[in-house]
Amino acid sequence: MSALEQEIKVLIIEALGLEDIAPEDIDRETALFGEGLGLDSVDALELGLALQKRYGLVMDPETRNMSQHFANVANLAEFVAAAARPA
Amino acid sequence: MFTFAIEGWRAWAAGIHDELEWREWAQAPFCPSMAEDSVPPLAFLPAMQRRRLNMMARMVFDCAWPLAQGRSAMPLVYASRYGETARDFELLLALARGEPLSPTSFGLSVHNAVAGQWSIIRHEMTESVAISAEGDGLEHAFLEAGMLLAQGRDEVLVVAVEERPPLAYCPWVDDVPFSHALAVRLKAGTACSLSLAPGGEAAAAPLLPGALQWLRHLLSGASSWRHQAAGREWTWALNP
Repeated sequence: MSALEQEIKVLIIEALGLEDIAPEDIDRETALFGEGLGLDSVDALELGLALQKRYGLVMDPETRNMSQHFANVANLAEFVAAAARPA
Repeated sequence: MFTFAIEGWRAWAAGIHDELEWREWAQAPFCPSMAEDSVPPLAFLPAMQRRRLNMMARMVFDCAWPLAQGRSAMPLVYASRYGETARDFELLLALARGEPLSPTSFGLSVHNAVAGQWSIIRHEMTESVAISAEGDGLEHAFLEAGMLLAQGRDEVLVVAVEERPPLAYCPWVDDVPFSHALAVRLKAGTACSLSLAPGGEAAAAPLLPGALQWLRHLLSGASSWRHQAAGREWTWALNP
């Protein structure tokens, strides 16, 4: 598991106030929304904002496959890493 | 005049939780320090349901939950003079710094946020009322409850809650010496009565917030007392 994935797990816990969950409780492939971790649409907005603040990600409505990027920690880490790479 | 029966009450302040502690406090009121146990833990809720409950909501849930537990649906009358001032001040500070607002916090920055969370978490489909009045918010809440009972409701839950405002508001807010909440479950009856008459000026700085003054009267065993607000005089009576 990459350092970035670990960092994103901590970010999720802190940004969403998941007081009884530790980073190791979140598998990189676990679905974040609905079944799985059980996050909802307000969490999606909050998490988007936290990623924006931490990594300077710009998420405009043109960004494609957003629900796939946010599906689990592994996808989010890939999304953040790709956005950080100069095009 | 409205009449009620008080079926139960609970109150929360830092370090003052159960009836015995409130009885001791009522005999010699003091201002508890927030350091003691500043946040109601709400251990009866799963963490996923607790995470969006701020101080206001936690105080309300701590008091009201045991009063509503195991009973059939009942309307909620929520009263707070200053409401989500602490949350809103944080949002204003973020705006001033040019930062984007937290969607969660923004969504809960309305006066009926706690009433809405109560409804969602308890699956309570009955109506709720959120009011913001002056120093006599508790009386207005009882008035509202009296009307709901008159419409045929079996029971009504009244909550009054205030959070100590941010320091920047202190020059203007002199009636919340400490964070506190009070919840009262009412049903139709005659043991308690409340009437309203035109009154004069309100006392400049009340010694205690309205809800705690009310609790103190209740616990002192007084049979009747008055509460003066701007232009309104409320008379409470307890009939043994």
